[in-house]
Amino acid sequence: MHRYLAQRLLQLVPVLLGVSILVFLMIHLVPGDPAQVLLQDYGSSEQIAAFRHALGLDRPLPVQYGTFVWRLLHGDLGRSIHSGRPVAAEIAARLPYTLRLAACAMAVAVALGVALGTLAALHHRRFVDYGSMVVALAGISLPSFWFGLVLILAFSYYLRWLPAAGADSAASIVLPGVTLGAEAASIIARLTRSSLLEILHQEYIRTARAKGAGAARTIFRHAFKNALIPVLSIAGLQFAGLLGGAVIIETVFGWPGVGRLAIDAIFNRDLPMVQGVVLVAAVIFVVVNLMVDLLYGLLDPRIRYS
Amino acid sequence: MRLGVTVLLAVLAASLCAPVHSAPVRGGTLNIAIDADPPSLDPHKTPSSGIPHSLLYNTLVTVDRQTGAFIPSLADSWTIAEGGKVITFKLHPGVKFHDGTPFTSQAVKATLDRLTAPATGAPGASWIGPLDRVEAPDDLTVRLVFKQPYAPIFSSLRIPFLAMLSPAAIAKYGKDYGQEPVGTGPFKFRQWIPGDRIALDRNPDYAWGAKFYQNHGAPYVDSVVLHIIPDESTRSIAFERGDLDILPTAPPKDVARLRQMGRYQVFQTPDDGGLYLGLNVTKPLLSDVRVRQALGYGINRDEVVNYALERLAVPMDSPVAPTIWGYAKGLTHAFHYDPDRARRLLTEAGWKPGPDGILQKGGRPLAFTVWTYPRETYVRMAVVLQTELKKIGVRMSIEQMEVATLLARTPKGEHDALLIGYGWPDADILYYFFHSSRMATTNRVHFSNAEVDRLLEAGRVTVDPQKRLAVYRDLQELLLEQAPWIPLASQISVTFAQSRVRDLAEDKFGTLLLDDAYLVK
Repeated sequence: MHRYLAQRLLQLVPVLLGVSILVFLMIHLVPGDPAQVLLQDYGSSEQIAAFRHALGLDRPLPVQYGTFVWRLLHGDLGRSIHSGRPVAAEIAARLPYTLRLAACAMAVAVALGVALGTLAALHHRRFVDYGSMVVALAGISLPSFWFGLVLILAFSYYLRWLPAAGADSAASIVLPGVTLGAEAASIIARLTRSSLLEILHQEYIRTARAKGAGAARTIFRHAFKNALIPVLSIAGLQFAGLLGGAVIIETVFGWPGVGRLAIDAIFNRDLPMVQGVVLVAAVIFVVVNLMVDLLYGLLDPRIRYS
Repeated sequence: MRLGVTVLLAVLAASLCAPVHSAPVRGGTLNIAIDADPPSLDPHKTPSSGIPHSLLYNTLVTVDRQTGAFIPSLADSWTIAEGGKVITFKLHPGVKFHDGTPFTSQAVKATLDRLTAPATGAPGASWIGPLDRVEAPDDLTVRLVFKQPYAPIFSSLRIPFLAMLSPAAIAKYGKDYGQEPVGTGPFKFRQWIPGDRIALDRNPDYAWGAKFYQNHGAPYVDSVVLHIIPDESTRSIAFERGDLDILPTAPPKDVARLRQMGRYQVFQTPDDGGLYLGLNVTKPLLSDVRVRQALGYGINRDEVVNYALERLAVPMDSPVAPTIWGYAKGLTHAFHYDPDRARRLLTEAGWKPGPDGILQKGGRPLAFTVWTYPRETYVRMAVVLQTELKKIGVRMSIEQMEVATLLARTPKGEHDALLIGYGWPDADILYYFFHSSRMATTNRVHFSNAEVDRLLEAGRVTVDPQKRLAVYRDLQELLLEQAPWIPLASQISVTFAQSRVRDLAEDKFGTLLLDDAYLVK
């Protein structure tokens, strides 16, 4: 087990290396110069040149990348070109917001998705089944920025129950959390439904029923444990997807997370910041996947890691 | 008797309609929306200064709220000598920075030395002009010595880029000044949660506000919280819910609706800038001045204002917007809508109608592509221009491009035309757009003209305002005749405030003035 864990964590090194090279190349392939964006060109050519020199932007790309890796190995993500603030500090300040939002969205997605999927499976080919699946389809199809604005209009503007923007109160997270979780909830609902339907036709379920187990015990104790393995796997992948979806949701709801930070950094060609955010996201992605794999073992004792 | 009743009723009605002026109330928090984090709260590290900077800092001079004339702020008076090369300021005594240190001539010197030091990399450094050195003969006298006269200096001195910083805080925080900003302004820094809010507290020592304020002491409100809300619809809703007290620069699409509701205070300010169609004069098609002029006459600016800008703009007849110092009225070469003249010019230039209604010459259609930012206003403007130009037989395609890409690609001259805007309070801004030395950077139309260069240089060194105005009049005439730019419109910014905010004001340039403002329940 420990050996397995160590192996998986070691895999992080080539992943991060690959990701950082890709990001580095991509941002250099796209036209745009951080010095130009910051100085807005009103500086003289000499000023822009001096600025580029101070940031090391005039050095060959391999040298720039080498410097970046060298600093990274010393635990230094550098300073943002745009704001001048240390990248690590900025990410540390904003990451908790995104993680909170993603966790809330995940909770919404799992609760809503599993409930809807179970309901649909238990009422197979009846109105509740079709109704649930239409709701799930809507959840996947609606663009999140539009859905978010509709929720703001309904719950913030007309009903006045929840704030429209910001992260001041506990209530602030509800609307962005639901908006962000809607798509994942829909996917989880569909998967729970099909997975549960398959399990409900298995012989061991018939045996459980024959033994006299009640409907609730059959479903929650026997069927769920197996039906939820693929759901868990998808939920894990969805969590990473939520971090990506957060970019739009954070903009609509004025939520101060890393998604917005990343987008602004890309627009400003703020390379150290983009690198920092992408590396952190990659680490989260890998760690979440690892956790999902470990959870399989808990749910299904037949799965063992060595 | 009947007359008496009528008079009484009239007096009653008048008294009910008159604004109620109660005594200002201390306390409360002003919640204001802004659309993005400033890159930094250090004026030397930001390419754009906004509300937080103007509340945290003071400049040497400021502008009169009504007239826009330069008036004292941290400097009580000034004298100009040696043909504009030396400006001596007498500083206001008793001014203190937020860190408790006194504001003296040494602070001015330290601030401007830091601004101009290449190591600082200050985006606003060029606005100080050819500054040679700063002298501080005594604590309250400071002398700016220029290598040559720099006429636009006062426009620059009032912008927060050139706000005064505390030398003690510079030494203490260095690169991190933006995280711990220290100024002399009416509010001092409390907290910045990036992406969420910037919170400022009243500066209890503040007693050096500009003369036009009623209140010559510390602000009445205890604090100001700037809420960072990037989405414009969300911003408007948060304001309508009452979560925000002030909604500066309201989204144009919401202005009419919010105004109609009748419950908000409305402040309307014309921008000190404009939107224009810039034509790359090195492209064969647009190198013919007659084609450029035809585009100028072929666009109905009223359509641009009405359909693209929600009527929140005025048509612009010069590259210099009407609110900018140096704007000249009644220019002979100003474009007006005259499609027949446009067609005549194009015929003169050898363009003939093609089968699809688009003009042709030598088998080539009169077609070009305009680059613009993916912002709603700009794209809508581009669509209006497309329709307008089609009427005179010109096909214009639209390509949207984010800021960094457009800034990087236009100096290479890959583009035909661009549709963007600018803002600055002094006509000297034209130097950046049209001087031949700026070809690799801000001269995005790749325009080069010896007389234009001469006038732009003269505008910088002519200190006498009347003579300088004459220089800019000639310059505007020449630029309209040569038509590297087709000026389109100058937008109007609208700020809304809840009725509970009293005595709020904006200056001529749309800066929020909060010294007098107070909140009632």
